[in-house]
Amino acid sequence: MTHELRVGLLGAGLIAGVHAHAYRASPGVRLVAVADPVATKAERLADQFAAASAADLDALLALDVDIVDVCTPPDRHADAVVTALDAGRHVFCEKPLARTLADGRRVVAAADAAPGVLMVGHVSRFEPDHRTARELTAAGDIGQVRMVTHTTTSSMPGWSESGWLADPARSGGPILDQGVHSFDFARWVIGSPAVRVTCVAPAAAPYALSTVRYADGSIAHIEVSWAHPAERGFKLACEIVGTEGRLTWSYDHLMGGVLHSGTGTEWFDVLGDRGFTAELQAFTDAVRAGGPSPVPAADALESLRTALGALESMRTGTTVDLTTWDVP
Amino acid sequence: VSTPEPVGVAILGAAHTTHAWSYARALSSSDGVRLVGVHDVDEENARWIRQDFGVPYFPDPAALAGRPDVTAAVVCSETIAHRPMVELAAAHGLQVLCEKPLATTLADARACVAACADAGVQLHLAFVSRFLPLVSRMRTAVRDGRLGDLVGLVGGNRGRPPVPPAYPGWITDATAAGGGALVDHSVHVTDAMRHVSGLEVTAVSAECGSLLWGCMVDDLALLSLRFDGGAVGSIDPSWSVPEGNPWDYDFYLRLLGTGGSLEISDTAASLQVVSTRGNHRGLRLASFAEDADAAMLAGFLASVRAGGLLDPCATGADGVRALEVALAAYESAATGHVVSLGPGPAPGVSAS
Repeated sequence: MTHELRVGLLGAGLIAGVHAHAYRASPGVRLVAVADPVATKAERLADQFAAASAADLDALLALDVDIVDVCTPPDRHADAVVTALDAGRHVFCEKPLARTLADGRRVVAAADAAPGVLMVGHVSRFEPDHRTARELTAAGDIGQVRMVTHTTTSSMPGWSESGWLADPARSGGPILDQGVHSFDFARWVIGSPAVRVTCVAPAAAPYALSTVRYADGSIAHIEVSWAHPAERGFKLACEIVGTEGRLTWSYDHLMGGVLHSGTGTEWFDVLGDRGFTAELQAFTDAVRAGGPSPVPAADALESLRTALGALESMRTGTTVDLTTWDVP
Repeated sequence: VSTPEPVGVAILGAAHTTHAWSYARALSSSDGVRLVGVHDVDEENARWIRQDFGVPYFPDPAALAGRPDVTAAVVCSETIAHRPMVELAAAHGLQVLCEKPLATTLADARACVAACADAGVQLHLAFVSRFLPLVSRMRTAVRDGRLGDLVGLVGGNRGRPPVPPAYPGWITDATAAGGGALVDHSVHVTDAMRHVSGLEVTAVSAECGSLLWGCMVDDLALLSLRFDGGAVGSIDPSWSVPEGNPWDYDFYLRLLGTGGSLEISDTAASLQVVSTRGNHRGLRLASFAEDADAAMLAGFLASVRAGGLLDPCATGADGVRALEVALAAYESAATGHVVSLGPGPAPGVSAS
């Protein structure tokens, strides 16, 4: 181990807490400070992990952090990531890469020019279920992948500060915030660029169905919802069909245990925080090795563009040709 | 951060080929460990460990155990040959991790414990189920009193028959292995039950037989247990999994207490795959569970560095007790009587 890696967290919301916890599993990595516009949130998270609270990104950089972990709302990613990269730091950026294509491209350009490693938080690639599916398909176990159906459904998440998540102008709604995981995973498993996307969504609810076509002919279907009953919880299901087989899983089956007692029912989820731990371990390993990025910005830009294309399709009621589409 | 001296490990016996290979893989991918050599009376048993991990073969176990750069030993010889390897390791002052079951007889098992105690070295048993995260969560829930007082414990560890050519012949030889499915798998479940509950088995009855595959040892078995405090239990350790089944091995525990119930199963951490490639037709489960073998080896190495056996590693005494239950079960199956056991060691208390 060469030297301790000092991490500064920008943002003190839900995912920042998950990251702070996951860094503890990596030897030689120390969370030094947390910054958030809401000072009490920064202080609370910092206290929990024996870190300092800081006012903003400049204050984090002044603390000589090696790594800036950007966990702001997506419309605040680009400026922070570019500033931290330009300051010579390594950067972890939560997904989606940005809220707009222009911002995303700005980040990619900055990453290309900067010495630091930039990794984008497409955590599905590190979740044991998704990762195993990718390993099996890459090994040819089900032949050539031809179709991916990926569905993530829940009620409206209530954790975002001032409700930014519920504002599509800031979050992109479930198609971007949740769906970008699915678009990224499908592209990763299929191994061919997306060429076309169609998205249909009702006006009455945050719910959307997207269909993506890929250059090699494969198809992906992505269902996202923030409109399901809260008591149903968060559900994920995936089905991958290949020329020589089929692979499926669902959160309904990933419960390794169930405890019924006087205090109610508790399910033992077999995934836990394994995905986030593996993701941040891969990041700090890459930082120590001097790269390459385990999830480079260029990959994340492609996934962002597919999600934004789906939003465009939803808005216009047309199919978006991703080989030519650009933001006006 | 200073880098500690690597722990030099010798594999003394690799006759349990699949487990020895898995432990060698875990050791060769761990930091701070050097796999110094592998010994087995049959060089063929060490072949894949040599080939896949570049570990040198030693025809003479004493020459390997006596090397100055070896401080720990992993014993995976035939069960009947655990004792001489454990005694050899202890004589050279090596810390020992022994494959389960500890021995084929209680006399041999106790001799292993005594040899390590006399030499002042640790003796760990390869009760890998303790290192399943679900078992750890279950133990915490029980200890926190969330189930109240336990009244029922049901567990199983079923598997494919370990018959040649995929497995060496000694595993289905009663003399070399100490029995069949009953002793092979029940020790895992017995130990896990003792580990999560803190209860001791007081009486055993069992039925078993060679009923499925025509091997010379039992392939089906069922144990009924009584625990101190009045709880009852059962164990299915059978080699009852046919070819084409979606999974090859399982491990489950179902607890009932006066305040609640808790059930765990390791097959949940898996994807469902149907492939028209290869030999396996139909549904199969592709596991993504954590590597419990690697966690167990990490626990062993951490204990070696710490100079004392760390939780949740299993002791030689735990190995003796699990064997005692299995041998009592064989006695019960042969005689048709319930067999009472004397008081066991307090769970978690090291024999050394």
